[in-house]
Amino acid sequence: MRKQRILAAGSAVFMFGMIAGANAQEDYPVDTVTLITHSSPGGGSDVFLRELSRYLGPILGANVVVENVRGGSGAAAMANLAQSTPDGSKFYATTPTFIYTSLLSDPEYKYTDLEPLVNFFIDPEVIYTSANSEYQTLEDVIDHAREGRGQWGAANPASLERQALEQLKAAADVNAAVVTHEGGGDLLINVLNGTLQIGVGEVQEIQSQLEAGELRLLATFSDERLEAFPDLPTVEELGYDVVVRKFRGLAGPKGLPDDVIAAWERAVQEVLADEKYKAAYEAANLRAAYMPHEEYAQFIEDFGNETRVFLKESGVIE
Amino acid sequence: METLVQSASYLFDLGVIIAALAGVTWGIMGGALPGISPSITMALLLPFTYTMEPMSAIVLLASTYIGAEYGGSVPAILIRTPGTNAAAATVIDGYEMNRQGKAGLALGISLYSGVLGSLFGLAMLILLSGPLSRVALAFTPPAYFALGVLGLSVIATLSGENLVKGFIAAILGLMVATIGTDPVTGGTRFTFGSSELLSGIEPVMIMVGLFAMSELLVQAGRRGEAERVTSRPRIRFPDLKLARRLAFPQSIGSVIGTFEGVMPGAGGTIASFMSYNEARRWSRRPEEFGKGSPEGIAAPETANNTVAETALVPLLSFGIPGSNSTAILLGGFLIHGIVPGPMLFQRSGEIVHGLYAGLFTATFGMLVMGMLLLPACIWLVNRPRPYLNAFIFALILSGIYSIHNSVFDLGIMMAAGAVGFFMRMLRFPFLPTVLGLVLGYLVESSFRRSLVLSGDDLLIFVNDRISLGLLTLAVLFIAGSLGKRIYDLARRRRVEAFSQGSEARE
Repeated sequence: MRKQRILAAGSAVFMFGMIAGANAQEDYPVDTVTLITHSSPGGGSDVFLRELSRYLGPILGANVVVENVRGGSGAAAMANLAQSTPDGSKFYATTPTFIYTSLLSDPEYKYTDLEPLVNFFIDPEVIYTSANSEYQTLEDVIDHAREGRGQWGAANPASLERQALEQLKAAADVNAAVVTHEGGGDLLINVLNGTLQIGVGEVQEIQSQLEAGELRLLATFSDERLEAFPDLPTVEELGYDVVVRKFRGLAGPKGLPDDVIAAWERAVQEVLADEKYKAAYEAANLRAAYMPHEEYAQFIEDFGNETRVFLKESGVIE
Repeated sequence: METLVQSASYLFDLGVIIAALAGVTWGIMGGALPGISPSITMALLLPFTYTMEPMSAIVLLASTYIGAEYGGSVPAILIRTPGTNAAAATVIDGYEMNRQGKAGLALGISLYSGVLGSLFGLAMLILLSGPLSRVALAFTPPAYFALGVLGLSVIATLSGENLVKGFIAAILGLMVATIGTDPVTGGTRFTFGSSELLSGIEPVMIMVGLFAMSELLVQAGRRGEAERVTSRPRIRFPDLKLARRLAFPQSIGSVIGTFEGVMPGAGGTIASFMSYNEARRWSRRPEEFGKGSPEGIAAPETANNTVAETALVPLLSFGIPGSNSTAILLGGFLIHGIVPGPMLFQRSGEIVHGLYAGLFTATFGMLVMGMLLLPACIWLVNRPRPYLNAFIFALILSGIYSIHNSVFDLGIMMAAGAVGFFMRMLRFPFLPTVLGLVLGYLVESSFRRSLVLSGDDLLIFVNDRISLGLLTLAVLFIAGSLGKRIYDLARRRRVEAFSQGSEARE
């Protein structure tokens, strides 16, 4: 008799759990959420999304799948998204690339045709030099550029890294050539062989060379010091008013319903706090930088305007 | 030594083994089809390597090249039609042996010589490719610019019978390379508002169009039935006595093959004809040549398989393909974001080691597959051409479409095919076009990057020692080639014509 009661109580708790679970499932309006990235399978954004989707699904209460829509450095993905229904079933993984592509290539659908949802991370950008070089601090590099002509490198022509160096150059008022490359690998070679004094990149891009002791970090463009490198000064501390935020977030089609936005705001805070996920993204040198919908929308707008001014000043666009 | 140990560890890698065997199989069958050159055989596979692991993709393509060089001798011996240009020299004595009822032995000699040639070539490849990687870091932007210029000028002067046509073809490729994103400012060029053109035109579309699509167009314009294989030979390997006799012509083939493979613009066809001539000159029984001499098969078949290996030397070390087939292989590297050249061994050493292991496996795979596939090859050669061509057309279209699921890409490929058709008709070489397309970006971006570095001072190309050396070489090459043509013209001598239009250099 007693045994039966315990069983009944147990099953009641179980039932309740089921119902609660089912409720959570019904919270989100669609069953399957597709996250679109313009990077190829195995690329930076792709890896970030696939890792994220594993943890996000249960919290959001929907299946989260990743789809690669390549082509036109994000132009194809933006067009795909801007024309989809704003029911919370489809989002695009945003990085500064989508703003650069919108401004540089003038595609039919631009970042302004999308609605920023929330931000997840900021990738810290650092300044590095060859371990064999004579430059011990950022000041040495600036002095060298002040005396003659500096040679600084960024991975890609239309990139946040280049913008950061141009801003640093202006803030320090020195004459330096900002040399662009075809990706981080090319840049690395020219820093290692001494053609360039410094390069700029994300920490995870140069992780293996850092561990091998081939590179030395000089400064970080983040707003505060990095946990992994507590002794590394920020560029701002050194007296140059330049802060760079390489964001990673999501955007959806215009007109997202409020309940979808609210569900995401809740889920993202929760997933970023998840112990296992935290260990995974911190190992990849990503810094959680949650921004709710309103803040993120404003951030993207400001970022876009700043970039537009930079591109005009550097003569890339009219 | 270290290279050998590291390569050996990939010998038992399942992905490498499968890729090597699949490549050789595909290569033998493609090579056996007259009109389908090794480069076309490889180009047909190229779109399908997109989704593969980089190492498997490279091994697959390189093994295809090896297999195709043997496959070419099958119809050369059986129906007097070389499957590949490099097998043209094999026709002379191979078909003669077939008429004497010794087709099986002729095929056996070809296969056995191909395996030996491949092994020797692989040894030379490993030996010759390593040294440059030690100075890789010394390559600065001006040096890369000079390297690209040297590659373009060498290929433009050497491929095809006409210097001006070579340069026109190269410029065509350079023009296509300017489409897309400006390498320095990041602005867009020649995209006409199309978002599909933003990231430029991928070399794979052009390669498949130029090589494979244009060949289909040419074949569609041909009439008449091809000859059929009526016999059912079985491969027979030479006995010890004959093997000893073949050792000497095989060494001639390996040495000439090594030399011609390493030289950009030379290639398998020249190597096999040269080996045939030299083997006859040094033979104890020169009178048998042309009447079914086994030596006359051994020498060219060793040579063209040696070339298939040593042609990778300039590709791996400098990133400059010396032939159509290695240009396709370069396409395979680029698809996976790997740039061959001085930095290859440092940045993607494991790919190179996997490739060496794969080539080794492919060589022995060729021995087995060559025997097993003979009936399949004969069956394939006997199929009516229109059916085969329809199959190839379907393969091309599905391959290109599957890359990005884009109909736009199909249009690009078809346009390249149409251009390729007219280039064949007007006897323009393809290689400079492909090279211009592939190197255009490197040349332009390195040039402009150098000028940014130096503050628009052109002296940076002279002050950099590597750059100065390479540019001097390029000038010497063009001057030498011009001088030779003027000399030839003055003596009213026809330029020696090994080349048979655009497909001569495999």
